[in-house]
Amino acid sequence: MREFGRFLIATLCGLVLAVGVHIASILATPHLAEHDAFAKIAPTLTAEKAQIISAPGGEDTWMPLPDPAIAVAACAYDLRDGPMRVSTRTGSNLLSFAFHKQSGGVFFAVTDRAAVRGELEIVAMTARQLDEARAAEDENEPSRDVRIVAPEQQGFVIVRVAAPTVSQRFQAEEAAKAVSCITEQED
Amino acid sequence: MHALMPVSKPVTTRIVPTAVLIVYALLLALGLGLGSTYLILNGDPPFGRLRIGPWTAWPALGSADADPYMRAILAQRGAVPLAIGEGLGFTAVTDSEGRPLDSACTYRVGSVAPTARLWTFSIYDQNGQLPKTELGRSSFTSAEILRDQQDQFTIALSRSLQDGNWLQLPGSGNFSIVLRLYDTPGAAGTGLNESVFPAIRRVECGA
Repeated sequence: MREFGRFLIATLCGLVLAVGVHIASILATPHLAEHDAFAKIAPTLTAEKAQIISAPGGEDTWMPLPDPAIAVAACAYDLRDGPMRVSTRTGSNLLSFAFHKQSGGVFFAVTDRAAVRGELEIVAMTARQLDEARAAEDENEPSRDVRIVAPEQQGFVIVRVAAPTVSQRFQAEEAAKAVSCITEQED
Repeated sequence: MHALMPVSKPVTTRIVPTAVLIVYALLLALGLGLGSTYLILNGDPPFGRLRIGPWTAWPALGSADADPYMRAILAQRGAVPLAIGEGLGFTAVTDSEGRPLDSACTYRVGSVAPTARLWTFSIYDQNGQLPKTELGRSSFTSAEILRDQQDQFTIALSRSLQDGNWLQLPGSGNFSIVLRLYDTPGAAGTGLNESVFPAIRRVECGA
């Protein structure tokens, strides 16, 4: 009986520790995963245009379950180099920007419905850069930029452009590639 | 000194040494802890499921509210989910009666879809790849689908030629359907119910 009691206590300890191991490993996965989306998009850090990661048709892409009717392009950013300005001219087809954190999770998304005079332009910056931009602003001529504060310094923007019919796929791919992602140099 | 003697005595008579029990507890913790993590990472997110008939979505997947399980699963797969502001993707792995989708069968899917600026209907084989079939097409969009006079549609899923909106199923195995609603007012998962989703009816299962 005494042996059984000790065995029971050891099992209980094991179960409690197992819960801890489970929680720790789940929380650590986004930081340890080497093949997450950011790692695959990171080579686009220096590019000034969004790079196609899934062309319409859904072939030759690392994205799981690609939608064949959507052109997906991405650009990675590192706000330590300065704020990131993402802009494009919109057309008649659905176009969207989604801002993802490096550790996973979307913090902002917008579609071309928010475009002003056919231009969709978003500036992602850190809280400190936003303060600086506000301080540097001329009160009589406030900036018209749409500014969003990024919770992390690194991340990526996903551009999706729809091709409702097969014949529009080429056009959608070109539209996705035409999105510019420019890091604004800090003065 | 005398009081300590009876306490230390039974230690020498234990059958299983304490060290063995400690190793057992640690191995149990590692095995169960990592094993359960492995199972979670290879399955669906356990929480935040929105189930409407045969269709399932995880609305929080593309939002800042994604739970740690969702983040871990996304990171491990290198997946890029649709953001709440972009749309919402619904997956079906069973028909409307709960039977797994089998490519040996013929299905009819219709006849309505939720309000969205654009929706796409794609089929994937059991490896999550777009099936390569003779038809050369594995998806429809709301813009290219043929509708009847009541503005309703039917998509036929079968290995053999069907009239109307036909998608050819892969050669064998199970398959899944993903219905993506782009720029939809229901992206947060509210205001959606089974009556606005297409039903998946199994017509027959043949050779």
